[in-house]
Amino acid sequence: MSAAIETQKLTKTYGRSRGIRYVDLAVREGEVFGFLGPNGAGKTTTIRTLFGFLRPSEGRAWVFGMDVRKRSVEIRARVGNLPGEFVLEDRMSGEDLLQFFARLRGVKDLGYARELAERLGADLHRPMRRLSRGNKQKVGLIQAMFHRPPLLVLDEPTSGLDPLVQEEFLEIVDDVRAEGRTVFFSSHVLSEVERVCDRVGIIRDGQLVTVEPTRELVNKAFRHVTLTFDEPVDPGPFRALPGVRDLKADGARISFALHEAPDGLVKLAAKHRLVSLDYERPSLEEIFLTYYGGRS
Amino acid sequence: MSLGPVITKWGAGPRRAHARRTWGTLFALVLHTVRLQRRSALIWGLALGIYSAAIVATFPTFGDMEQLDQLMRAYPEGLREAFNIEDMGTPEGFLDSQVFSLAPLALAFFPILACSGAIAGAEERQTLDVLLGNPLPRWQLVVGSFLATALSLLGIAAVVGLFTWGTALLFDVDLSLLTTAAAVLNLWPICLFFGGLALLCSALLHRRALATAIPGVALFAAYLADVLGKVSDDLEDLRPASVFYYYGTAIKDGIDWANFAGVTLAALFCVLLAVLAFSRRDIYT
Repeated sequence: MSAAIETQKLTKTYGRSRGIRYVDLAVREGEVFGFLGPNGAGKTTTIRTLFGFLRPSEGRAWVFGMDVRKRSVEIRARVGNLPGEFVLEDRMSGEDLLQFFARLRGVKDLGYARELAERLGADLHRPMRRLSRGNKQKVGLIQAMFHRPPLLVLDEPTSGLDPLVQEEFLEIVDDVRAEGRTVFFSSHVLSEVERVCDRVGIIRDGQLVTVEPTRELVNKAFRHVTLTFDEPVDPGPFRALPGVRDLKADGARISFALHEAPDGLVKLAAKHRLVSLDYERPSLEEIFLTYYGGRS
Repeated sequence: MSLGPVITKWGAGPRRAHARRTWGTLFALVLHTVRLQRRSALIWGLALGIYSAAIVATFPTFGDMEQLDQLMRAYPEGLREAFNIEDMGTPEGFLDSQVFSLAPLALAFFPILACSGAIAGAEERQTLDVLLGNPLPRWQLVVGSFLATALSLLGIAAVVGLFTWGTALLFDVDLSLLTTAAAVLNLWPICLFFGGLALLCSALLHRRALATAIPGVALFAAYLADVLGKVSDDLEDLRPASVFYYYGTAIKDGIDWANFAGVTLAALFCVLLAVLAFSRRDIYT
C-alpha cells in the first residue's frame, strides 16, 4: 500500500518552543488516520506545512508522492481541506462560496455538495454572517468534501457540531473510507477517533510520540472505576489488585484508576453486594499524561 | 515507518489544458473579488461623484470670473502652480483645482485598503486557509486581487465621470465628455500605484494596519514633495521622485500617455515584487 502522506524529519520552528520537530509520519492510502494531541502540540502546524502554507525549517513531506514545497498546487487539487480555525466570507452564502470553489476546481456538478448539505442539515442560502458556529462548520466541511478528493485533511472537524450531526459526519467519513479515499483527521475527542480511525498518531510538544492502531491505543488506556456497595467494605483487597492506582475509599464507595483487565476486580466485587459500577474511559489528555508523560 | 514517496499519476497534462485551467482560476478569482468589492466601490464612486457634481454645480454661481482670476493672480506664482489655481475662470481649471488635483489623496485609499486586505487582511480575518486550500497558486491571489482592484477602480472613475459630466450638462457648464473621461481616467494609474505599494506591504508584512499605513504615509509624502517642489526652487529637484509629478493636469492638457504608462508600469513592478515576496513566505493564521 502506498502513502497518501509521508513526512521525513519534518521540522517547523517559529521561535523557541512552538512548532514541530523531526516528525516522521506515513498515512496509507485508503485509511482513516487520527492525528491527536492537546492544543499547541503541533497538529495544525503539521497540516499547514503539508498544504505549503508554512515552509519546513528542515525535513521533507510528500502528499501522493508529490513534494509539498514544489507541487503544492497539484497537491491542493487532490486534497480537501478543513482548517481548524477558519472564516468564510461573511457576505456570501454557502451556495455562492461553493460555486466559487467549484469554479476554482473545475467542478461542474454540485450534486454531491447538495447531498452533503442535506445529510448535515446545512443551510446554503443564508449569508455566513447569519449562520451559527455549527452551521458555518457544516459549510466548511462541505467545501472540503464536495469535490470528492482522494485525500481529506480535516482539522477538528466536529468542533461546534451537535451530537446528531457529529454522528452523521462520522457516517460520511465511513462512506469516504468505503470509497477507498483517505482521511487525515485531527481531533481531541477519543470516542470519535475510536469510532472511525484505523490508526492514530499522537503528537505532543511538536514531536510524534506514537503511531498505533486505534484499538491498541484505546485498550492500553486505563479506566476510571467507581464501585458503590450497600455497606462499607475494606478497601485493602481492592488496593492490592494488579493495576489499581489512586484508590480512594469513602464509606461504601471506592474509586480508583484500573490499568489492567477488569477480571480480578469483577471477581472481588462480586463477593459483596454491589449497588452500582461506573467504568469510564479517561479523557485523551489523561491518556497522554499516563502513557507519554515521561517522554519528551 | 517510511513507505517511500510514490510516483504520482498526476502529470503536467497538455500545455493548453494547463493554460486554460490557469486562466480559468484567475478569472474566477477576479470575478469573486470584484463581487466582494462592488459595494465599497459603489460607495466610493457615489461619494466622490457627488462631491465632484457639487463642485460643477457651483461653477456657474461665480458670476464674474474675471474678478476671481484677478484675485488668484494676486497670489505668488509658485503658490498658484502648487495648488492648481491658475485658471479658475474655466470649468477645466476650476475642476482641476477643486477636484482632480486633490482626488488621488482620497481615491488612492480605495486600492490601498483593498490591496492591504488581500493578503495581510485575509490572514488576520482567517479566510486565507480556506481560499488557498483550493488549487490556486499564490501568484494568482496577488495578481487576481490587483486586477480586481484595478477593475473596481475603473468602475469608481466611471461613476465619478458620469456624475461630473451629467451635472455639467444639467447646469449648462461647458465641459466635454472626452475631457471628463481624460480627467477621471488619469486618476487610475496614480491610485493603482499606491494599491500596488499596499499589495507589496501586504505580501511582505503580516499586519494589515502596516500595509495600509505605509502606502498612506507615502501618498501624503509624495503629494507634499510635489507641492513643495512647485513652491520652492530649492526643493524642485525633489519633484521627479514623487509620483504626483507624473500625474499632471489631464482635464486641461489631456492625458500624458507616457506618464500614464510609466506610473502603471511602476504599479505593476510593485505587484511583481509582491508576487515574489508572497511566494517565499509563511502564511499565518
